[in-house]
Parts: sequence; structure tokens; C-alpha cells
Amino acid sequence: MAGAIAAAVIGASLSLNGVLRGWAWLSPVIITVGVVALAMAVLRALRAPAALVTLGGFAALVFILCNTFLRKESIAGFIPGPDTLKQAFVLFDRAGETVYAETAPVAPNTGIVLLICLCLGLVVLLMDTLAVPLALPATSGLGLLAVLVVPATIKPQGAGLAGFLAASAGFILLLGCAQWFAPDARLQSGTGRGQGQLRRSVVLGGAALAVGLVLPLAVPGFDQGTFPVGSRLNPWGPSNGLNPMITLGNSLRTPTGDGRITYATSSSTPVYLRSVTIDRFEGESWAPDDRASSRRLGTGQIVPGYTLPEELVRDLTIIDTGQFTSPYLPVPYTPAAVNGLNGRWSWDPLTLSIRGEDRTSRNQHYTVVSVSPRITAAALTQAGTASPADGELSEEFTQVPGNVPEIVRNTAGTLTTGLRNNFAKALAIQRYLRSAEFTYSLQAPVQGGYDGNGLSVLADFLQQKSGYCVHFASAMAVMARVTGIPSRIAVGYAPGHPTGNNIAVGGRDPLTEFSVDARDAHAWPELYFEGLGWVPFEPTPSRGSVPDYAADAVTPGGSGSNLDEDDIPVPNQTPLPSSSAVAPAPLPGTGTGAGTGIPQAVFVLAGALLAAALLASPRLLRAGIRARRLREVRPPGQAGPAVPPALAWDELQDLARDYGHVPRPSETPRHFAAGLQGSIPSALADDAGMRAVHALTADFERHRYGRPADGGAPGAGARLTADRLSAVRAMLRRGRSWLVRLRADWFPPSLLSRWFRTISAPFRWAGRGAVRAGAFIGNLRKAVRPLRRGN
Amino acid sequence: MDSQHQSTVRHQDIVRESVVRAEESTAEPGSPNGHRHAAMPAAEFHAASEKILAAINQVIDGKAEAAKLALTVLLARGHLLVEDVPGVGKTMLAKTLARSIDCGVSRIQFTPDLLPSDVTGVSIYNQSSRQFEFRKGAVFANIVIGDEINRASAKTQSALLECMEEHQVTVDGTSYKMAEPFMVVATQNPIEMEGTYPLPEAQRDRFMARISMGYPDQASEIEMLETHQAVSPLAKVTPVVTAADVAAMITAVQQVYVSQAVKEYTVAIGHATRDSARLRLGASPRSLLQLLRAAKATAALDGRDFVLPDDVVAVAEPVLAHRIILERKAAGAGDTPQSVIRAILASLPVSRDSAADARRA
Repeated sequence: MAGAIAAAVIGASLSLNGVLRGWAWLSPVIITVGVVALAMAVLRALRAPAALVTLGGFAALVFILCNTFLRKESIAGFIPGPDTLKQAFVLFDRAGETVYAETAPVAPNTGIVLLICLCLGLVVLLMDTLAVPLALPATSGLGLLAVLVVPATIKPQGAGLAGFLAASAGFILLLGCAQWFAPDARLQSGTGRGQGQLRRSVVLGGAALAVGLVLPLAVPGFDQGTFPVGSRLNPWGPSNGLNPMITLGNSLRTPTGDGRITYATSSSTPVYLRSVTIDRFEGESWAPDDRASSRRLGTGQIVPGYTLPEELVRDLTIIDTGQFTSPYLPVPYTPAAVNGLNGRWSWDPLTLSIRGEDRTSRNQHYTVVSVSPRITAAALTQAGTASPADGELSEEFTQVPGNVPEIVRNTAGTLTTGLRNNFAKALAIQRYLRSAEFTYSLQAPVQGGYDGNGLSVLADFLQQKSGYCVHFASAMAVMARVTGIPSRIAVGYAPGHPTGNNIAVGGRDPLTEFSVDARDAHAWPELYFEGLGWVPFEPTPSRGSVPDYAADAVTPGGSGSNLDEDDIPVPNQTPLPSSSAVAPAPLPGTGTGAGTGIPQAVFVLAGALLAAALLASPRLLRAGIRARRLREVRPPGQAGPAVPPALAWDELQDLARDYGHVPRPSETPRHFAAGLQGSIPSALADDAGMRAVHALTADFERHRYGRPADGGAPGAGARLTADRLSAVRAMLRRGRSWLVRLRADWFPPSLLSRWFRTISAPFRWAGRGAVRAGAFIGNLRKAVRPLRRGN
Repeated sequence: MDSQHQSTVRHQDIVRESVVRAEESTAEPGSPNGHRHAAMPAAEFHAASEKILAAINQVIDGKAEAAKLALTVLLARGHLLVEDVPGVGKTMLAKTLARSIDCGVSRIQFTPDLLPSDVTGVSIYNQSSRQFEFRKGAVFANIVIGDEINRASAKTQSALLECMEEHQVTVDGTSYKMAEPFMVVATQNPIEMEGTYPLPEAQRDRFMARISMGYPDQASEIEMLETHQAVSPLAKVTPVVTAADVAAMITAVQQVYVSQAVKEYTVAIGHATRDSARLRLGASPRSLLQLLRAAKATAALDGRDFVLPDDVVAVAEPVLAHRIILERKAAGAGDTPQSVIRAILASLPVSRDSAADARRA
């Protein structure tokens, strides 16, 4: 049984491949699951009580986790101490960050593997508890489902065939074990065992599989409908997470434009709204660096951490974020001041990402003053000869990760052979990526298994030559870095579409309003050029607009497919409204931050699960009680294991109570049995049921009143007892209305009366205590009276 | 009086004995020590009891319950009091039971002028041997039918009752053992009649059970009229078992197991009768002892070697009803001893917690 559970859980965990990268995480998972299952099996073999088995399994889980992940911090290598807990929290925090900030497949860091091992260990505990003491092997499949749900919601490809098959095989094995070993299985199902059952299950499983396979083919538009392949159900609104990269692919694939942002700008060039940058390429998966230590509060005046040229174009952009929810604020580059925000916001001098300290970007309406240097190809060519001065730029923008795949290095090398100028190199890379070799596709990475980001994804992308903005942007950024150009990836929105509205800003021409939504989500590389600062490029074909300086006019022989004709530079010198530029708006510091959708959804889900558990708990408890009663024991001096007749009798009485025949305390067993048999209309009574009642009664009588020398009564085996009880149950069910049957299944009166007795026990004690106290006082008075008289 | 003295001592013994230890005390006073019969095997027991019951039912139509109870009392080494109006077959029942067993039967028709010595026997001086010789009285038989016991004088009644209790007769300092099995079936007419001496409560306590025959139902009565016209049905009855068989059956009954739970239940019944507000006199310890013995016989007749609460319940009414005395109020309210016992049995919990019982076991 334990083996079957372990097999099922490990099988289900196979589907996590793709959520986690590689297979390194599998061995700790197998060890954890195996140890927990083994511990419980051993305890059960030693006939420990059910509660002890579960506790033992939990202890084994804690020990093995400590031993695997926290050996140094634990006492004797496996006993958790205070340090262990501290370290575990650190790891859990890391896992939490990973979950929040990274997209699948994530690198299997210690934190996430610990978390997964813990979860799978708990799943084993849950399944074992459900399957063995509660005798609900089928219900224990819920645990497997919980494991499978994770990849199914996270991985764009779904749970995956291997994992699903392995999990199913494990589940079937589990059910099989339950049939072979558990005495209660038959009673549970209330049906006969044997060939019929097997045939039924095969037919049912086959039908379910057929429906699952055929239905998607029959339903039209599985590729584009509400949930095209690769997009995931996201019922909690657009977005959101700390890492925009995580949702980028999904956002692009959403058929409906969620998270609509409208903005009106005075800029003449298409405006990219930028929320955050990725600048570390080392990790397996890229995430924005928070740089919490260097952030500065207040967005009234934003000063970049590098020198900008003197000649700047100032633009005014009014942005309404609507329902878009993200910790980072989308602003045009380079922001100089942001006004009108609610809450406290901070900015990072290096990346100029603006982040809410107590708010998200939801329902913000603000005005951004942005400056941009007048960048021309000539200026870039000039800047491209100079390498950045030391200390001018943080190392993290130039550092080339050690694990850059060979194909990236080679490609970059080939592209930039003979080119000395950084700008020329950048253009070469952009031209290569925009060439006809590459196609823009949202689906190809999903199908190719390299949806997401990271260096390994990049290698796949360069081979397949098909992907979307994340791939193009990261390819260019990494290749630029390889060739010596400081680079980073900006994440935000490509220029939007005019809404047709105009927004009037005090005393000036109305500004054209644009809107972007999830489908405009975009990533693009920014390269650093000495003297000009960070300059955006556009390597993604058919998306965004190539800046005029990067258009291929300069470089000869370009085959770039620049789809945007809008490359007439209109440097519109806009005078800034002095008030907004000088006086930063007071920042209202109200503390009620709007919670993001995810925790709420988690609470709702947890609430629903709790409600379901509460609703099912009488049934589960009843089944547990039954299973406990029907367990075979081997009393001393008896031949074989048997169910104690008294417990079988209790079960019979409870069964009768469930179906409305309440046993009276003054009834003798025989009398009760006769009453039970008499309560069934003779038309519905069947011989098997009657005989079963009789046999159970006789066993119990012999046990309770018989000669103890015979060892009480031999007692029937668990199988026989369960058969008898199921015969009685079948007979009782036949005679009762569906309402009674429903009640017996879900709110068994025997259990409810037991609860009622438990709840009322304190009151009864209190009542009895009061009576006793009264009697005592009465006696005391009687005792005192003669003394008084004596006085 | 030596025997008188002995009797009181024994009585105290019985009272002191807890009914919970009933099984040790199943060898009741006066039981023949030494020649105890080997217990009859269950199958034979069943066959023999069936034969006896069939024989009785052959004569008395529609009174299977009464017949079974009579056999129960016989096997439990008790005495039976049959109380009913004249002419319903009291004597017939006793006679048939006696006749179906191959044993000594005597019948005493109690009259006011019957002397104790007529019952017990008398020592007569034998001229030839020049010694006093004991002439056994009517009581020296296996089954003694005492007809209309309430017609005898109190002195004679008490002589019989003493024999019943002691299973022996003491005349002139010599004790004479009664034959085994020994059972007195006394009949009594409940209707107040002139010249009767109703048994006092203390003496009714000596009878293990009291039954009333009741009128037969219509069909049985018609059949009775049909079959009993020409020839006495009693003539058809031939002994089906021997006295030794009955003794072996009695030994088997004595070996029936009584569990702690049943003892507790029996004691609980006794306490309930004593605590009942409707009763002036509850069940005595001796009555509980007899209740348990009757239950054992019932269990044995049912083919079991252990007693169920059902056995206790089955005999509680005939065993207890004639020993308890109603409060005057209760009698006025229409209660009968039978109804009170039924009410007690209906409200008394049989077993508190079988799960706890299982843990203990």
C-alpha cells in the first residue's frame, strides 16, 4: 500500500519536469517520498495506532528534509533545532521569491526543491491517511490531483504525458492494493467485487480517456478560442507577479486585451512604456533585480545614475493604468519626474525602474515628464568607439555570465567579426535577428519547449529561430554583452494604438491618446553608449518600431524588415509645466494598499477546500470509524486475526442508526436484531441481509456473554464481517427513501449523535456536579441541624 | 429444633452470598453431594427436552409456554406454583410432566385436615424388628404434585415447604434425603374461597416460578373438546426420559456459563425492583439467584451453553412477579406485578458500552 502511494506520488511528480528545469530535483523527491512511505509502512507493520502512524510519517518527513537540505543546521544531522527553522525560513523565502518572480521552468534551487519535497511528503501523508485508516483509497487520488494541478496550470504544455501516465499507473496500483488488502473496500463501494468491477473500471477509464482525447478535436478553435494552447487559465485578472517576464508570453497570448493602459503623450516618436529591466543574465531564469538598498523614495525628481547629454528632449506623458496591476510603474524612458501617484513609490538610480512601496500600479493616474537625448546614428557611431569609463557603469551591466551557451558566443562572434565600433556591432546583431531567418511566433517556443527566458532558452531560440520579443530581446542583450557592449533587457509595452480621443492638458494642444493592453507587452534590449546613456534597440521583427538611429540606413547591406514607416524624427521641444516639474506632489501615505489578486484567490480556494472538507468530514469520519472497527486484530490465544465482534456489533448498531432504526439501551442484542429485521418491509427483506444480522448478533452474543475460555468468540475475519455488514447495508438501503440514504451517506446520524454527546458532555457533567453539590449541601445541613439544636 | 436452626443459618448464607457469584453457589443447599450425574451432551439434551415438551403439548393444547416454563423449572431444580382458576388444566400440566418422565410421582390433595406427617412420613414402631421404622410420606417422590396447596393448614404447608427448600426430611432427628430430581408442582386457586390458607409471601418465595395457565384459545379449546371426549389423553403419555436423564440434564444446566455482564444485568434488575416507587417489596437475593438459575435452564433449552440477557428477561416475569408486592397506590392505579416488571425491563439498559467491554476483553 505504502509502496503504491510512493509510486503514485513519484509518478505524479514526474510531471513537474518542465516546472523545474532538469532532473536534479528528482532524487531528493524520491528519497523524501520513499522515506515517508517506508516509515509509515514500518509503523503500520508494527501495529501502531493510526494517529501514531501519521505522526511518525510526519516526523520522518521532518527528519529526512533536515537531513537532505539542512544537515549543517540540524542537531546530529537530522533533528531540527532553532537554527534549522531559521534556515528553513530563509529557504522558504527563496522558494517564495522563485514562485513569485520566475517563470517555468525554474532553476531547481534548494528552496524550491525543499518546498516541493515538503509538499510531496505531505501529499504522501495525506494519501496514506486517506487510503489506509480512513479506507478511502479512491479519494486519496485527490493528493495526486493536487500534484498534477501544479504543472497543469504552470506549464504551457500541460501536465505532460509521462507524468500523467505514471501518476495514473500509481493510482491504479493504489486502488488495486486497496482492493486486495483493505477489508473495507467492498463495504465502501457497497457493490460486489470480482470480474464485473474490473470490467466496469476498464470500460469507465477507457470512456473517460476517449472523451478527453476526442473532445478537444471536436471543439473548434482550440488554437485560438478563449484558451489557446499555451495560454493558461488565469481567473484572477491580468497579471501579475513581481516578474513581468513571467507573464509576458501568457499576456501576449491572451485573446482579450487585459490590463488596458491608456496614455497621452507629447512625444512625437512612438513611446515605449517601460516598467522594469533585467540586467543579470547569470541565473537559469531571469528576474528583475529589486536593488532595494539603493532605491530612493519620492518620484518628484528622478536622476539617472549616469550622465546624460546636455541636449535633451522633454516630453510629457499622462498615463492611466486602469486595471493593470504590477509593482512596477510603466513610464516612458527616461523619466525625470512622476506626479500624481497614490502611495509611496521609489526609484532605482541605475535602472530607473519605479516601484510601489505600498501600492501597485492598479488605478494610478499620473503624469510623467521624461527626457531623452537626441540620439542619432552619428552620435552613436561616435560613442561606440569609446569604451565606458571605469566606475561609470555598474559591473552588473557588463558582466558576461560564465554559462553562456556556445551557440550564443559563436553567433555573436560571427556577426561582429571585423567590427570594432560598438554601434556597428549592435546594428549587426539587430539586423541578424530581424532578418528573414527569424520568425515571430508565440506558439513555437511553447511547442519547442523553450517558452520562458534564460540562457538555455536562448540557445534553443537561436537554433529554432522562432520566438517572440523575450527571445529576441534577450538574444540581442546577451550577444551585445558577449561582444563587450553593456546591455540589459527592458520590459514593458510596445507603442500602442490611438484611441481616437484627445486629452487636453492645461494651455496646450490636446495630446493624442493611445492605449496598450496585455497583447502589447514587450521586451527590448537597451545598450549603453558612453555619453548617451541607455539606448533602446528593437530586434523583434514585426513588433514595436525601430528607432530611427537604429534603422538600417546607416549600415550597408541590411536586410532588416522594418515594418514601421514612422521614423521621421520630430524633436518636439516641449516646455515643461513648471509647477509639476518643480514641486513634487505631496504623497498621500494612506496605508490601505489594494491587495493583488493572487492572495485573495488563494484564500478563496482555501476557503472552498475547507468548506468541501467540512461538508465531507462527517462522511470521512464515519468511514474512518468504520475502517477502524473492521480492522483485524489477533487477540492472544486465538488462531487467526479477526474483527472483535463487539466492534462489528457497534458498527451494526451505527448502521441501523444511520438508516433510522435507533437502538434502545434497554434492548438486548437479540431484541435489537429482531427489531432491525422487523423494521424492513417483508417485500424488501432478503435472505442474505437477514442472515447477516443474525450472524453478527450471534457472534456478538457469544463474544459478550459466552464462556471466556473459548477466547470469547472467535470472531469473523474482516472480509466476512465487511461482507455481512454490506449485506445489511444493502438491505437497509433498499427499504429507505433517497433522503434517508442521502443522510446516511453524508450526515450519518450515528456520528451526529456521537458529536452531540461529546458537545453536551460538559453540560451533563455540570448538571451532575450541581446535583451532587446540592445533595452535599443538603447533607451538610442535616448534619449541622442536630448540632444547632444541641446549642 | 435442629432443622429449623439449620434452615435459618442457610438462609442467612444465601442472603450473604452475592448473586454476582451465583455460579459458585449453583450447588444449592440440600443438593446430593457425591452422586452427581455427568452432564448430558448438548445434542442429547436438546433431543430429550424436545421429547418432553412434545409429550406435554400432546396433552395440553396451546400451552407451549407454560409447558416450557414447567420444564425450565424442573431443570433449574426449582419448584413450580401453578396458579389459576379451577379447570384450566393446572393438574393436567403437572401430571403430564410427571408422566413423561420415568420417575416416582406422588400426588397430594391438600385438605384442611391433612397432617404434616402425611406429607413427610412418620416413624412407626415395628413390632417384629422392635424398632421404629420410617414410613416415607407422599413427598418422597421425584415429582410431587400438590393440589390446591392453599387448602392445607399452615403447619402442613410449612412442612412441605421445608422439604422443598432442604431437599430432605428430618423426622425424629434422622434426615432422609429426597430423590433426585425433586420437584414440587403446587397448584393454587387464586379466587378467595372459604377455608383456604393463602401462602404467605415468605413461602411463595420458595417457589422458583409461578405461572398461570390462562384459558386456551378457541382452536385449542375445540380440539381439546374433540380429543379428550372418549379417553383420557393422559393415558397416551408414556415416559420419554428416565429420571437419570433428567438428573444429567440438570447437571448440564448447572454448567451453563453466566457472564459478568449477565450477572450485572440480573443484579440491576433486582436493584430496580427494590428502588421502584411502585413496589413495596422488591426482589430478594434468593429470587435473583433463582432468576439466574431459571435463565440458565432457559439458555440450555435454547441450545446454548451461556446465558443471554434475553434468557433473564424471558423468565423474569414468572420468577419475580409472585415475590414482589405492589404499593397500594400502584395497585390502585391498575398496576400489576407483571406490568411493573415489564416496565422495569423496558427501561433498564442492558449493557452500557460494548466497546469498553471489548477493550476490557
